[in-house]
Amino acid sequence: MTDNQRRILEMLAEKKISVEEAERLLSLTGRPTSGEAGAFETPQVPKPKPKYLRVVVTPPETEHGSEAGTGIVNVRVPLTLIRAGLKLRAFIPPDKVDQVNEALRNKGLDFDVRNIRDEDLEQLIESLSDLEVDVSDEKGAKAVRVYVE
Amino acid sequence: MMCPPSILRVRIQNRRRRFGLWLPLFLIWPVIMVLGLVLLPLLLICAVFLWPFGWGRLLLFGGPVIFSLLCALRGLKVEVNQSSGQVLVSFQ
Repeated sequence: MTDNQRRILEMLAEKKISVEEAERLLSLTGRPTSGEAGAFETPQVPKPKPKYLRVVVTPPETEHGSEAGTGIVNVRVPLTLIRAGLKLRAFIPPDKVDQVNEALRNKGLDFDVRNIRDEDLEQLIESLSDLEVDVSDEKGAKAVRVYVE
Repeated sequence: MMCPPSILRVRIQNRRRRFGLWLPLFLIWPVIMVLGLVLLPLLLICAVFLWPFGWGRLLLFGGPVIFSLLCALRGLKVEVNQSSGQVLVSFQ
């Protein structure tokens, strides 16, 4: 069982996601669902590296049909911007790092900026490839989507 | 190879006014580069003098970091559409 599959099952146990969402997420991680028992195992194609973080907010009723990805709010953030932005931490004066950590702790973020490593960031970005948040309105239409492409 | 965005598009529109900007950044980067090269000796001298105060590192390594930040902006798009207006900022 991979880490992603374990995390999905933990979220299901904590009732953070529904059974249908867990099944969909598990199928995306490569595990065959119950309906596909006995099917051939397809060779796992390496997933392309995620490039953009997308946030799309669509209106409840689209007018004249909208193109995929358009709506009231459409944000596309390159993930390389996160990598480049974290390089700025190297410019924090050593005597000010403790003040920065204290300020972060006051905001509820209990970690040390000195301990952020590039490998951790790459791992975080890799794990974002499975991220998908869908918020639907009362009619079932997807109102808010947060995903990585 | 990373390269900075070529075009900046800005569009701000409401019921009364409309503002659009299409900026060819690929024409501006060479000018900034030449300016940077001209100012480089002065920058190095300032970095040497300010190194004991902790600012030298920022002056020396800030340029490459800013360049990588600019390159990372390529592909950034923020679009907000409402009935009262719309805003678009896009780095292509």
